[in-house]
Amino acid sequence: MKNIGKLEYYLLALIAITLFNTFLGEQFASTALVSVLIALTVTYKGFIVIDHFMELKGANKNLRFLMRLYFVIFPSLIIVSAFY
Amino acid sequence: MKSNPINRSLGIFPKSWSEQEAGRIPGNIPIWVGILSELTEFGIFFVAYFIAKFYYPEVFTEGPQSLHTSLGVTNTIILLTSSYFMAKAMANIRLNNKPKCERYLWLAFFCGCLYLIIKTWEFYWNDLQGLGPSTSEFFTVYYYMTFNHFLHVGWASCAILWVIFRLRSGAYSAEENSGLEALAVYWHMIDLMWILIFPLLYVLR
Repeated sequence: MKNIGKLEYYLLALIAITLFNTFLGEQFASTALVSVLIALTVTYKGFIVIDHFMELKGANKNLRFLMRLYFVIFPSLIIVSAFY
Repeated sequence: MKSNPINRSLGIFPKSWSEQEAGRIPGNIPIWVGILSELTEFGIFFVAYFIAKFYYPEVFTEGPQSLHTSLGVTNTIILLTSSYFMAKAMANIRLNNKPKCERYLWLAFFCGCLYLIIKTWEFYWNDLQGLGPSTSEFFTVYYYMTFNHFLHVGWASCAILWVIFRLRSGAYSAEENSGLEALAVYWHMIDLMWILIFPLLYVLR
């Protein structure tokens, strides 16, 4: 595996983002800005897992496209729901 | 690598559908049929969540505040760590380091069990607070999503045991490990679903 040394970095990044998201949710009233930030970080987390843990980066481009599309569509709905 | 026989026999798929053109498929095709089906299933849950939130915004604002957030955070970290262990198991089988691969699989299994224990405790804690599937529309969606996810972690953990058994019986090596990789991508899919579930149920107010 090419990026074996990076896995630990990605894990730490994912945990840090999770804690940051929780902090946002707990400390701030739910505003559109908080929802947008959470949606963006969810997309980023999804992309990390898809590309580096699932190893779809450099693998089948159709599968990678579908997986990444999933993590664009549903976080986008988080943003849309902030404006209900 | 030979071109996909489906492409050759039917000639109706675009060139990019052949593995040669589109790139390697991690694991095998059947597991991806399963994964895409699961993604559709969870996708319906997520759509249901957003529709329910549209009609009952107050309930979805109050609902997450009743949950034990630290248990949700702990389970998120456990699942992310399990994905890391699974990726390390794959890295080690490619190096033909079977003992280390097995060790990482056991660690991933341990994370799966820990997740199930904590989730069970969370359901019990909810029950003590008088919270159940019929408490409100939020909790109906919460139980629908989390219990379904709970089942997925459960049977995928059992699959890890099966893969460990296969690894010990010499079924996997640096050259042939598609069965192990199929489990790995399935496990990552379960982790991905939790990455979406966690903010929807525990963070967003």
